[in-house]
Amino acid sequence: MSKLFIVNKYMLTAKNLTKKYGEHIALHNLNLTIEAGEIFALLGQNGAGKTTTINCFLGFVEPSSGQAIINDISVTQNTAETKKYLAYIPETVMLYGNLTGIENLEFFSQLAGFRYSKEELSGFLSKAGLQTTAHSQRVGGYSKGMRQKVGIAIAIAKKAKVLLLDEPTSGLDPKASNEFSEILKELSQQGTAILMATHDIFRAKEVAHRIGIMKQGHLVSVIDSRDISATELEQLYLQMV
Amino acid sequence: MRFSVLKILSRQVYRSTIKKRSTLWLIGIFNLMLGFAVVSGYQILTTQQQIVDKYSQQVRHRWEKSPDKHPHRMAHYGYVAFRQKFPLSFFDFGMNSYVGNAVFLEAHRQNTVNFSEASLSNGLLRFGEISAGLILQLLLPLVIFFWGFDLISAERENGTLRILLTQGISWPELIMGKCLGLFSVSLTIFVPVVVISLILLFSNGAIGDNWQSLGYFAILIVGYLVYLLIVSLLAVFVSAKSNTSKSALTKLIGFWLFFTLILPKISLVIGQNLYPSPSKVEFDTAVEHELLAQGDSHNPNDPHFKVLKDSLLQAYGVDSTHKLPFNYGGYVMREGERLSAETYKRHQAKLVAIYQKQQNVVRLTALCNPFMAIKNLSMALSGTDYATYHDFENQAEAYRYKLAQTMNELQIKLISNTTKGSSGKQAIINRKHWAEFPDFSHHFPAFILVFQQEKLAIFSLIIWISGLYFLVTLSSKHFKAF
Amino acid sequence: MTGLLIKNFVRSKGLMTGLLLLFLSGLISLNVGKHFLEKNQQLIQQTAHFQQENIDRNVKYVNKEIGLLLYYVRFGLANHTPNLAGLSIGQRDINPAVLSVTIRNLEEQKYTTDLMNPMYQLIGNLDFSFVLIYFFPLIIIAFCFNLISEEKEEGTWSLVLSQAISPLKMLRLKLCIRYVSVLTVLLLLLVIAKFYLAIPVDNAFVAFGLTAILYISFWFSVSWLIVSFHRDSSYNALLLLIVWVMLTIVIPASVTTVIVYKYPVPEAFGTVLESRDGYHSKWDQPKEPTIQKFQKHYPQFNRYKHPEGKDYSWLWYYAMQQMGDDEAAVHATDLKTKLRKREAASSVIGLFVPTIHTQQICNHLSQSDMANHLNFIEEVEKFHEQKRLYFYPKIFTDFAIADENWKAFPLAYFQDKVSVNWSLVLIPVFSICVICVVWAGVNFRRPLERNARYE
Repeated sequence: MSKLFIVNKYMLTAKNLTKKYGEHIALHNLNLTIEAGEIFALLGQNGAGKTTTINCFLGFVEPSSGQAIINDISVTQNTAETKKYLAYIPETVMLYGNLTGIENLEFFSQLAGFRYSKEELSGFLSKAGLQTTAHSQRVGGYSKGMRQKVGIAIAIAKKAKVLLLDEPTSGLDPKASNEFSEILKELSQQGTAILMATHDIFRAKEVAHRIGIMKQGHLVSVIDSRDISATELEQLYLQMV
Repeated sequence: MRFSVLKILSRQVYRSTIKKRSTLWLIGIFNLMLGFAVVSGYQILTTQQQIVDKYSQQVRHRWEKSPDKHPHRMAHYGYVAFRQKFPLSFFDFGMNSYVGNAVFLEAHRQNTVNFSEASLSNGLLRFGEISAGLILQLLLPLVIFFWGFDLISAERENGTLRILLTQGISWPELIMGKCLGLFSVSLTIFVPVVVISLILLFSNGAIGDNWQSLGYFAILIVGYLVYLLIVSLLAVFVSAKSNTSKSALTKLIGFWLFFTLILPKISLVIGQNLYPSPSKVEFDTAVEHELLAQGDSHNPNDPHFKVLKDSLLQAYGVDSTHKLPFNYGGYVMREGERLSAETYKRHQAKLVAIYQKQQNVVRLTALCNPFMAIKNLSMALSGTDYATYHDFENQAEAYRYKLAQTMNELQIKLISNTTKGSSGKQAIINRKHWAEFPDFSHHFPAFILVFQQEKLAIFSLIIWISGLYFLVTLSSKHFKAF
Repeated sequence: MTGLLIKNFVRSKGLMTGLLLLFLSGLISLNVGKHFLEKNQQLIQQTAHFQQENIDRNVKYVNKEIGLLLYYVRFGLANHTPNLAGLSIGQRDINPAVLSVTIRNLEEQKYTTDLMNPMYQLIGNLDFSFVLIYFFPLIIIAFCFNLISEEKEEGTWSLVLSQAISPLKMLRLKLCIRYVSVLTVLLLLLVIAKFYLAIPVDNAFVAFGLTAILYISFWFSVSWLIVSFHRDSSYNALLLLIVWVMLTIVIPASVTTVIVYKYPVPEAFGTVLESRDGYHSKWDQPKEPTIQKFQKHYPQFNRYKHPEGKDYSWLWYYAMQQMGDDEAAVHATDLKTKLRKREAASSVIGLFVPTIHTQQICNHLSQSDMANHLNFIEEVEKFHEQKRLYFYPKIFTDFAIADENWKAFPLAYFQDKVSVNWSLVLIPVFSICVICVVWAGVNFRRPLERNARYE
């Protein structure tokens, strides 16, 4: 029983994860575990390897060596299976402009093999914070914040155990950004493991349980966010990179 | 507009375009295709010339070698006229394949010009033929559009456009400079084919009789240069006007399809419906009915010829046609030939007028379609247009008429009026008369005719180039920097 | 998912406009076909009418000798035009639909062309086969060139990949929706054509429809193949457009030029000279050898003799006419053989080039190809021969004109038979489709996620 608990505890695992592009090493021997319900934020400059890490977990990038593991299943070996557990929100959630918010959600859920009623879909969108009036408007006219919320709704509808976020709050106004953080916390409380790449040090400190700093493909530091203030984190970050 | 700026801009376009591997490939493929087109076109032309020469000589030989006989039999033996190809026709095949090549010329009858390449072809001909004209008119613009669609829109998309404009370059300079660069890239395709064509033109034996083709070729080159300039300017202009490169490309391909495929076909359908042309049966029947109404020269009791006979008898003071001092049969035949030829000519002129009207509908679209303008001009200068063909038809008919009437004259003069039949000793004349009748030689229309025929096309090219130029220089305020 | 993909497709204005334009140009082409058929019908009726008029008038005026009468009288044979030819006019606008011949020498008559405006031949008809061969591919290309790349360029692709259990299935669905929409337009046009042009549903029509469906399938397969290389939109568009230009313009036009170059037909001119000399030179030669040659050709007429010492007889005259045909026979046969060779060469090339193949099959099925015209000419030869054999004895015996039933010579019709060689119709293009789809399948074996190209 206890063994089973331990197995389930780590939703995301990177084992010596390495990605080389020719001579260039984008990701170097990354070892990382994220538990269910934990939020892990990755900080680092552009090109430090944050997005490569996320792409390895998504299966978009094949690691040169090492393994990306989701829920104890290797991503490389069984991409289709691991995909069932994860949801992904890119920097900008782009949707089909000709379809409404609710239709986009329905479409992406169906891609993942879920069928929901209109009421359920509407419920997910509301839960993600999208105002009801926008549900049946075409997303062509949506703001970035609204599209980001549809992205969250897609993740919620998928009942994802793992959420991968690539700079999800960049370009959002402070209010939208705050709402976004609240929803992430709520999801984490429900047991979702979240890996988030970001540039926003203060948001990271506020939302994440642990914070990793990356430099030239190396994970150079991992800090528990309770142990550090935002200003100290910024200092540390500037020293590190 | 500063010349130095134009030079810098156009050189930059030329260099950056020519540097791409895809450009080099396209230039290579196009030069190969054009080389293939003119060389095979030239070989087809010389083969045809040889065939035509061989058979023309045979026709002449057989004509001169004909034995002593009655001239009217010689008129029925007739002649075969072959259509010569203009030395430049290898450059643009035009209508060459769709018009007849050989016509049998005999007394009393106007036969059709037969054996067009199209009638000897299977359905493939409707895809067109690969000639330099086709490649330069149809395909080269497509390539220019591909090279030119993002010349300005891409600069707008990546922000360099604002830097360019803040450096003090004006919009007209920018557009003209880019256009000239694009134009110079297109010359890498146009110039080689011109050189090869010139060599081929000079190596053709038939050039000696047709020095005017050199002059035509010079005008043709100018025409194509203007056309390529129009196409380049259009590409850059649309690129400047469009918000994104993608929409510029879509618009240009749309233009291309509309101008080259859709508009000509639509104008054809309209022309056909506006001016219906008669079928051969209708045409022949109409001619026949009119001839019947005029009189039948073979029928001695025909009213028209009876009046003629009576007036002749009165003038010469005799009571029978046998007593006339010349061959009455020949006289009547000459009159009959004159009447039927005139009637035919009138109907033929009416038919040609209908064709011209139909063609004018297509021709008129040249005003808004530079593709149609260069197509018409190129065909006319290459001697492969309808006017050149129609000119051949006229020459053949004129020769036929002369042949028939010369034979009638011989009969009137040399055959005794009392001779019956056409094979007796008195009914035949010496074969030396045959050689006296000159050979048929097909010559090509003078430039002034070509110019008159195609003034609309020339006008249209001028309108397009100057129109675009003014649009570029005058509407610079309406372009967007970002 | 299908429903939403359809919604997304239907809501994009550009694509719907494309379909509408395609449909409209199809309708115009059907109208062109209708116009052609009507004109053809009218022409045949006129010919039938004028033929009777011509016979009646000549019988009335040239009423002394049947030999002289038959110098003038023309008998017409019409090449039956199936209504399917309204869809694919082919060579029908070049070759005459009716040939009216006298029983004199045929060589001078059988190459007669109809009157036509060469500008129209140059530009070509806007018939259904043109819309099929040129316009349908353009719309298909516009529908498919960015099947994947639009998702990448619009940014939806990464979300699709992270969500979809099988992204390939979604691509297939997208392709199917486009295929079905174009197929619908095609079938709709064919159904309208069936009623508008009154085309009977027979083997030829079914084969025509299948050829059209295969042809659009070919373009979908090619697009699918190009898409499977995962390049960006402008690259795909360029590549597909190059394929289109090559297949619809460059290759067929080059093939035409090569065939003209490879099989020149000087025989065409030869027939004219030979038949002219064959006939006309006999006037100046002794009559006996001409008549002997004639009677060698037709031993059944041995008992007719040229009257001794006479300057002229109809036996001699028609024997001379016969020599025009007989002496040109070698050249005429050579010409036909050359033309069949041209036809065969382009059929073989067509096996590898779907545009050429489709055009030729369409022309074949609608009896508007060269083979049909050659068959017609052969039928004209038989028809002419039969008229000769019928009238020769009457001419030689100076049969009384009044005793002949001149109402018994209405316009005759030639009905060519089209045999549908199903494997030839279907296999070549189908094989090319299969090759494209299999090749694309190989490309798609690599997981789509790996082609996402990030960072």
